[in-house]
Amino acid sequence: MKEFVLAFLGSYCPAILFNIERKNLIWAGLCGAIGWAAYRSIYAFTQSEIFGVFIAAIVISALSEIMAKVFKTPSTVFYIPSLFPIVPGISAYNTVLYIIDKKIAEAAYKGLETLGSAGAIAFGILLISTIFRYINTQNINSKGQ
Amino acid sequence: MEVREVLNIAILSGEILLTSGSEIYRVEDTIDRICSAYDIKCESFVTPSGIFVSGWALNNINESVSFIKRIRNRTINLHNIEMINTFSRNLQIKTMPYEEAMKILKSIKIAPYFSFTKRLSAAGITSFAYTVLFKGTFFDGILAAGISMFIYFIAEKMKKADFSQYFTNFLCSFIAGLIAVNAGKFIGFLSINSIIVGSIMILVPGLAITNGIRDALHGDILSSQSRVVEALIIVTSIGVGMGLALLLMKVWM
Repeated sequence: MKEFVLAFLGSYCPAILFNIERKNLIWAGLCGAIGWAAYRSIYAFTQSEIFGVFIAAIVISALSEIMAKVFKTPSTVFYIPSLFPIVPGISAYNTVLYIIDKKIAEAAYKGLETLGSAGAIAFGILLISTIFRYINTQNINSKGQ
Repeated sequence: MEVREVLNIAILSGEILLTSGSEIYRVEDTIDRICSAYDIKCESFVTPSGIFVSGWALNNINESVSFIKRIRNRTINLHNIEMINTFSRNLQIKTMPYEEAMKILKSIKIAPYFSFTKRLSAAGITSFAYTVLFKGTFFDGILAAGISMFIYFIAEKMKKADFSQYFTNFLCSFIAGLIAVNAGKFIGFLSINSIIVGSIMILVPGLAITNGIRDALHGDILSSQSRVVEALIIVTSIGVGMGLALLLMKVWM
């Protein structure tokens, strides 16, 4: 619960830095918190960092696409701040630490983990936005007929 | 309305979108939408560093007008993207005369940010939240908040002074690393790792990466590549800055 609140703050405040509209701030924060919760529960379940991040990215982008539909705003507004908590900051930092300590094997391991997480986030977003784009074009087509 | 005027409106909207950190397809979409609202055919090609549009009236296809707009500085301002989105959708429903449209666009361009103190405290709270989230104590969080407010302040000042963003990121993460390691040296019970990770969280180029992916998805390979490379260079500069600070302290101690 404490982490939920922290993750909420961790998406709410970057949203202020990105200057999004006041009424959308709270939804961006909520989106980020739910994404973090998804990441934590998947991680506790499978012990896999990358898989947790992947599922979290899917949850976040699906949520923000839905919010974008409801509030009639671009979905960017929601998912840029809410992806913040699951960015692999720690593993990137550890990579640098290991490089400084000349532990190249560990650095390579951590570096690969970082790359893997980043790729997982990317693929998660890609998957969901492809699906939503398909739904959108279907809607437009059926309206046109 | 004349083709030239319509393209002026379209290209100004495109410029605002692009400088606010929009995806490429949204810029092209908006330009097309504005042109078609005024019954003008157009072709647009947008990259992160420039907009190319040429348009012609439907009843006079021999006379086409072309515009090139070079985009130099890019920031992040999601509010502007939202406003331009509504503006172009409104235009589609009901067109407005040239002067009125330009006036609206100019007012969007200078639309108010959150005040500087608000953004500064937001940066502080962000770092506090992440430090505690990454297993730091409450006290670590406070320190990280202080550091990140300091580097956010420096980053804003350097942005105004027109330094390159890579150098800004390098210097900011270097300073953050230095402060954190020094504090860890003098005050025994801090967890330096959580503090550093928390405080450089505000520098992470999240928008560049996600936009790179979205651009690739829509087939704008050129922009996607440049954005991903931009993000990679930023990440490298943050890493080098932090690494340098840690290395210096290791040698020094």
